[in-house]
Amino acid sequence: MVFLNVKKLNVEYYTKNNSVHAVQDISFQLDQRDTIGIVGESGSGKSTLAMAILQLIPKNTGKVTGKIEMKSKRLLDLTPSEIREVRWVDIAAVFQKSMNALSPVHRVGNQLSDIYRLHEKNIPHKMLKQRIFQLLDMVNLPSHVYKAYPHELSGGMMQRVSIALGLMHNPKLLILDEATTALDVVTQTQILKELMELEEKMGLTRIMITHDLSIVASSCKKVAVMYSGQIVESGFVKDVLYNPLHPYTKSLIKSVPSLKGENRKITAIKGSIPDLSKPIEGCVFAARCPYAKEVCFQSAPENSELENNRAVKCHFVKGGEFVWEEGKQTIV
Amino acid sequence: MANYIQKRIITGILIIVVSIVLNFTLIKLSPGDPIRVLSGQDSPSPQMQAELTAKYGLDQSVFMQFINYVGNLAKGDLGVSILSNQPVLKMIMERIGPTLLLALTTAIIALIIGTALGIYCARYRGSRFDNIVSGSSYIFDSMPNFWLGMMLIMIFSSSLGWLPTSGMVDLRTNYTGFNYYLDVFKHWLLPATTIVLVTVPYYFRIARSSIIQVMSEDFITTLRATGMSESRIFNKYVFKNAILPTITVFGINLAYIVTGVAIVEIVFSWPGMGSFMLDAIHRRDYPLLMGIYLLLSISVAIMMIIVDVIYAYLDPRILYKER
Repeated sequence: MVFLNVKKLNVEYYTKNNSVHAVQDISFQLDQRDTIGIVGESGSGKSTLAMAILQLIPKNTGKVTGKIEMKSKRLLDLTPSEIREVRWVDIAAVFQKSMNALSPVHRVGNQLSDIYRLHEKNIPHKMLKQRIFQLLDMVNLPSHVYKAYPHELSGGMMQRVSIALGLMHNPKLLILDEATTALDVVTQTQILKELMELEEKMGLTRIMITHDLSIVASSCKKVAVMYSGQIVESGFVKDVLYNPLHPYTKSLIKSVPSLKGENRKITAIKGSIPDLSKPIEGCVFAARCPYAKEVCFQSAPENSELENNRAVKCHFVKGGEFVWEEGKQTIV
Repeated sequence: MANYIQKRIITGILIIVVSIVLNFTLIKLSPGDPIRVLSGQDSPSPQMQAELTAKYGLDQSVFMQFINYVGNLAKGDLGVSILSNQPVLKMIMERIGPTLLLALTTAIIALIIGTALGIYCARYRGSRFDNIVSGSSYIFDSMPNFWLGMMLIMIFSSSLGWLPTSGMVDLRTNYTGFNYYLDVFKHWLLPATTIVLVTVPYYFRIARSSIIQVMSEDFITTLRATGMSESRIFNKYVFKNAILPTITVFGINLAYIVTGVAIVEIVFSWPGMGSFMLDAIHRRDYPLLMGIYLLLSISVAIMMIIVDVIYAYLDPRILYKER
């Protein structure tokens, strides 16, 4: 059964003189216990997508249209008080820059308890404290964190606090927005491992937003590659990352330095993300694509759906293969 | 915390000591001859000059004068005013009450009104109310307080005749009890309005901008995502984070409480420290001036200690850095 169904989701931000179409016609589906990594460079709309699912885009600055269905709830049609009920119980999140995730002038324990009480109003004080200690213990934090202020903790500890905060009410869906990006690799691996264990226990569905392909490769089942507000390629990690079809996915993978093998030149993708305040005629990646032909600038490619739940948005992907010159398969 | 307070108090005492030395030096360096003022003549006779110089200890070396001064201070003796021949401490004590009455009440009223307006306008940023209040805050901020005072006198006293023009009590009557307080209140109303109108913009702008800044912090997004209501986020989290700059400004304002309202006091002939101090400067009444300045530096030092302690209590990061 489909757990989360995002269909034709559009997010537009309004600025003084124009509007920016930050998320364009995004559709994807997740089953329960699925994990999906959403990758892309800065400005591709990943975080906006997360904010849209969390209903955190302020009404006066942006407009969200389309459909987000979780089980049978249509999230976009909920009233403000219904949204508050859904938050943290059904959908929780761990945000980037967890050093600033909590108020600097209130104690960690105080804030955790305060948030816990939002969705379990009548819990007695003693039980609440016990529950918070339990949560801290779950993410391998010592109990003195309860009485600490955020500035007294390290980045890794604050990250764990944020994760404890996110898992507090056993949410069904957890969104991690660049949650481990600011950490060193050792702490990152540790936290990811812990997170995956907890996930197993709690039956979480996870959306992982990151620009780090290695995190996706090691911790997700599915992946969606975003470029300038669109998903250009999606599917299972083992298909997409090991046999990329879209030129953007290919260049993204090539721009990651490798530790093994001979020294190989890292190829950056030339140019930058297009201006989203103007409509783009053809393929969004055409301007930077090494394979772009005339057709790419003239019409937007169809989303071709391949086997194994894979979808690619490129003119040259036909029948599951990247065919650039007629009749000849090009391997990058 | 105790350690922190101790450190602040030591710093405060050092500030007072340094300001005693500076006071003395600056007054010694300032131009003008007190002897000439004392004698009441442009060119007093040498005999008279010598007599006066000896009487006030001005014939001793500057260093000895300083030692004498500090010695007297330790005994609680601030000296005797050159002009009125009264103990300085007594004169200050007579004058400080009205000043505190005017300055303290207006500081607190301005703090409350300004902060409340700032909070409201920050929450409804861009609304018509916000635009009107923000706009007029600049007008009142750039308005000279003596001018505003005179305008208020013209409107409410001269033209409408509702309120008295000057002083703290009506000298022609002899009110007691409730009527006395009512009379003081009537006299207080106009100078207080003047001070409040020109100080509210400070608190308003500080409160408004720091709330807007805190509202855009990451932890506010986190709290929203947890399903916390806007009013709870605001009352518990935004408020405590945003109030810190206001406290700083309030502290600075309180530090200058004794002289901060001097001009308004003069405009309204309020019997406080303001006109008193200007008189002392004009007439080169050294003992009196030094007494006033000493009082000022002590009040600045004490206020600094109090504000620092409040600050540390509200923002735990301050104690952390001190460690």
